[in-house]
Amino acid sequence: MTTEVTLAQDVLHDNARDAEANRARFRAAGVYVLNLMSAPGAGKTTLLERTVEALKGKLRLAVITGDIATTRDADRLAAHGARVVQLNTGGACHIEAHQIEQAARPFALDALDLLLIENIGNLVCPAEFDLGEHDKVMIYSCTEGHDKPAKYPLMFKEAKALLLNKIDLLPYTNFDVDAALADARALNPAVEVFQLSATQGTGFGAWLGWLENRVAARRS
Amino acid sequence: MHEVGVAQRMVEIALAAAAESGGGKIVSLRLLLGTLTCVDPATLAFAFTVAARGTPAEGARLDVEPRELLTACSCGAHGGDVVRGRELRLDTLDLEEPLSTGSTP
Repeated sequence: MTTEVTLAQDVLHDNARDAEANRARFRAAGVYVLNLMSAPGAGKTTLLERTVEALKGKLRLAVITGDIATTRDADRLAAHGARVVQLNTGGACHIEAHQIEQAARPFALDALDLLLIENIGNLVCPAEFDLGEHDKVMIYSCTEGHDKPAKYPLMFKEAKALLLNKIDLLPYTNFDVDAALADARALNPAVEVFQLSATQGTGFGAWLGWLENRVAARRS
Repeated sequence: MHEVGVAQRMVEIALAAAAESGGGKIVSLRLLLGTLTCVDPATLAFAFTVAARGTPAEGARLDVEPRELLTACSCGAHGGDVVRGRELRLDTLDLEEPLSTGSTP
């Protein structure tokens, strides 16, 4: 004989609760928070380096950079004068909300306009975990192939903006921009798309303009 | 890729609920799993078996009910808001022992 017990519980409930606490803290401080996600090697750190450099003196910003190991990304970003905390997950494939709460402690949040979170390079798991950010941004490089929206739908669906990176390499690949963007927009019709090259700076004006508008909208 | 963590949380939730209901061995556990989540059912089943070892959930059957993606868009594509398909939700569990009479939680 067995007895049925109703659970009705989200398995990731703890993370959702921590993310809401983060969101409330960010809102109270008036800081705009972005969660940047991509596959490994899509160019997150290079994109952040150029972004941080361009916004220097314009916005008060800080970066939390997540990696399984090493402080290499933090060192690269600190070289551009950014306030940066390195978060090492020690093998975990994504960042969770409670880790952001801890990593953000050194920052005076109300003295920041923008907090950028560089998630672990992984197209799968980071999309599942709300960190309390305002928006998710996905960086997708053309060297990854144009089939990725169809293969990894959740991250494309969750992204507020999609940065198609490494467009300077398009002539050397068989990447079909129209096919990739059609698949991405089928999943996420409202997604803002920016085609750029983080190493060359191509297309950066539009991305930075969008980012500054999002920060301004948060402040007002 | 984070199935081990998910399985550990599932066992924690199940053990807490079982203890609240008077304890006993957990026979089965029902999970609603959205197809848009990044959790692989076979990997999760294995991780659950391992995570349940040495607990009242050891040997419990994991019933995974897939929840197909449904969006709020009538356009036929998957562009709308997700109505169903992101679940990672424990629904019910079955305990071997009946609830002890006379003690209502």
